[in-house]
Amino acid sequence: MFKDSLIIMRKELKRMFTDRRLLFMLVVLPLVMLPLMYSFMGKANKTRRNEINSYTSRIAVCSGEGGGEVSDLFFQSLELLNANIETTDLGELDSLKQRVIDKDLELLIVMPENLDGSILDNSVFDFSIFYNSTGDYSRFAFDQVDMAFAQVNDVIVRQRILASGMSEDLLIAYTVNKYLAPDETADLAEEGSVMGKLIGVMMPFFIVIYLFANSMKVGLDSVAGEKERGTLAILLVNQVSRLSIVLGKMISVMVAAIVGAVSSAIGLKIASRYLIEMTSESGASITEYTMGSMAIIQFAIVVIPLAILISSLVLLVSTFARNVKEGQGMIMPVYIAVMVMGVTTMQTGDIPPEWMRMTPVFNSLVVLKDIFMQSALWGNIFFTMATSLLVSAVLIFITLRMFNDERVLFRI
Amino acid sequence: MLRVEGLSKEFRNARGRSAKMVQAVKNLSFQCKPGEIYGLLGPNGAGKTTTLRCLSTLIKPTSGNVFIDQYNVLEHGQIFRSKIGFLTSDMKLDGYFTPDYMMDWFGKLNKMQTSEIDERKEKLFVDLKMTDFIHKKIDQLSTGMKQKTAVAISLIHDPDVIIFDEPTNGLDIVTSKAVTDFLVSRAGAGKIVIISTHNMTIAEKLCHRFGILVEGELKEEGTLSDIIEGSSWDNLEDVFFSYILPGGDHV
Ligand SMILES: Nc1ncnc2c1ncn2[C@@H]1O[C@H](COP(=O)(O)OP(=O)(O)OP(=O)(O)O)[C@@H](O)[C@H]1O
Ligand SMILES: [Mg+2]
Repeated sequence: MFKDSLIIMRKELKRMFTDRRLLFMLVVLPLVMLPLMYSFMGKANKTRRNEINSYTSRIAVCSGEGGGEVSDLFFQSLELLNANIETTDLGELDSLKQRVIDKDLELLIVMPENLDGSILDNSVFDFSIFYNSTGDYSRFAFDQVDMAFAQVNDVIVRQRILASGMSEDLLIAYTVNKYLAPDETADLAEEGSVMGKLIGVMMPFFIVIYLFANSMKVGLDSVAGEKERGTLAILLVNQVSRLSIVLGKMISVMVAAIVGAVSSAIGLKIASRYLIEMTSESGASITEYTMGSMAIIQFAIVVIPLAILISSLVLLVSTFARNVKEGQGMIMPVYIAVMVMGVTTMQTGDIPPEWMRMTPVFNSLVVLKDIFMQSALWGNIFFTMATSLLVSAVLIFITLRMFNDERVLFRI
Repeated sequence: MLRVEGLSKEFRNARGRSAKMVQAVKNLSFQCKPGEIYGLLGPNGAGKTTTLRCLSTLIKPTSGNVFIDQYNVLEHGQIFRSKIGFLTSDMKLDGYFTPDYMMDWFGKLNKMQTSEIDERKEKLFVDLKMTDFIHKKIDQLSTGMKQKTAVAISLIHDPDVIIFDEPTNGLDIVTSKAVTDFLVSRAGAGKIVIISTHNMTIAEKLCHRFGILVEGELKEEGTLSDIIEGSSWDNLEDVFFSYILPGGDHV
């Protein structure tokens, strides 16, 4: 019986792996999709950053009366920025504001009155800095000026402390990680687990998407398509059992599903380079994620039963539907539900609620995430495998019943 | 020996609001001996395809039974399928593969050895004059070539009972003759052959015995002379018309 299934499977696979268009959809697309997407996003991000960094901001400064020495300090700090500074007086304030609105100016700085005086009496003085949050570069200029002024603030505070006869050491209350040994790093995340977390959040989603997409591509055609083309009957009048047919088709759909999942996993791995590029500017020490052999075994124990479940489900729908189109219509809501599950797992924290671990499909997604974060428990892995296989068995049983029912198989 | 006993088939027609039962075949009985070609004749919608599908295990009779030797279709579906070669015009072949590949594939599914398959292929390809196109994709074949391929595939396991639903439909006279000659030779080799057709000329030439099926009922049964002697006509076509044309003797 199993031998017949293999004969049937071999023909379906031969079809899959010799038809170039099908091969492209099943293997190449999931492989290149993510790297393309991320490299594109990464490039766009980089160009954007370069653009912002090389932009010369236009800043207007209204200096108040009695500027003197202190206001010079602030002006000097502004001159270090990549900016055109124009100085005006308060009379033009309204027209300057209008220019900020019109994006003719990035920033308008109004200096306080009598700066030098407030230094002497140790009072707090206030700048007004107007910006336009709808302008691309205005916020950026605001942040830059804010940082530059903060440095001047340190200088002034230091002077005040010295003037009052105290030590400037008072300025520093604490330091962080100053006394770490030279061979010591503060980030104690296991090698690769930072990237693992990044990947772990996305991987289950893409895996389930491609398991489903490839199952649909192959599975709907394999029964509903055969019904539509009238090629199923000739198989049914041969001396091969219905169970062999169902299993043979299920296995070939499953192979397509797994090929898709593995392709997209490899694709995501390639894409992670671009992800590293994109996130490394933020300072985290991210190394490329490599799956250990244990993680690969765990991955297989979860993904193969999940692939069996999804292909059995698609095959059931395919058997029930009159034709491929009807099948697509029936499976779409399920597909969307699974996508929602994928997104939900992406957004749940490290400890998912218990019901997610109990629900078929959902628990696979959750455990896959655990595996990528190197925190999966064997108990959860095997429980997930068992639920997937159990549900698959029920689905296959129902499909088999349909295969013996002429009203389902010959619905016109 | 193939025996059909009291075969009936009802379909539930779920069109419209009420589900109506359609009696496609009513209490059909006939027999067919090895070496004999049996022709099931009837107008469109008479129930020919339905009858043959019941013989092939594709659909289950509502009542009655079919026997091949000691086996019956209700209990021994798998054995039945091993003994029959079945073909209808609405059975298509996967166009992506070649006739040669499909023959191998069905041979394996019928648990044949590779040497056995090769031998059988060789014979069928020559008998049906297929050698020119066995390595072409089925999609690229003409109707006649496809039909020959389908015939060859349905007979890969050398079945004792050959059941063909309108085997010459849509074929030119040369291909049609190739198929009918082949059926004659199979009957000559001691096989049971059952065909359905509405072509009286072919039926008269080819079949040893006939059943005339009208609206699911078997109206006449027997050899050509049996049927003509019991009527006021001297050929099969006129007898056939007398059952179906308005104003005919039996309408
Ligand atoms: N699956 C089905 N569901 C409902 N009714 C059906 C089904 N198959 C056949 N019938 C009905 O049974 C009757 C007999 O159909 P059948 O196909 O057996 O006729 P036939 O003799 O083969 O006709 P033809 O010469 O046109 O092929 C018809 O009235 C048809 O509508
Ligand atoms: Mg018919």
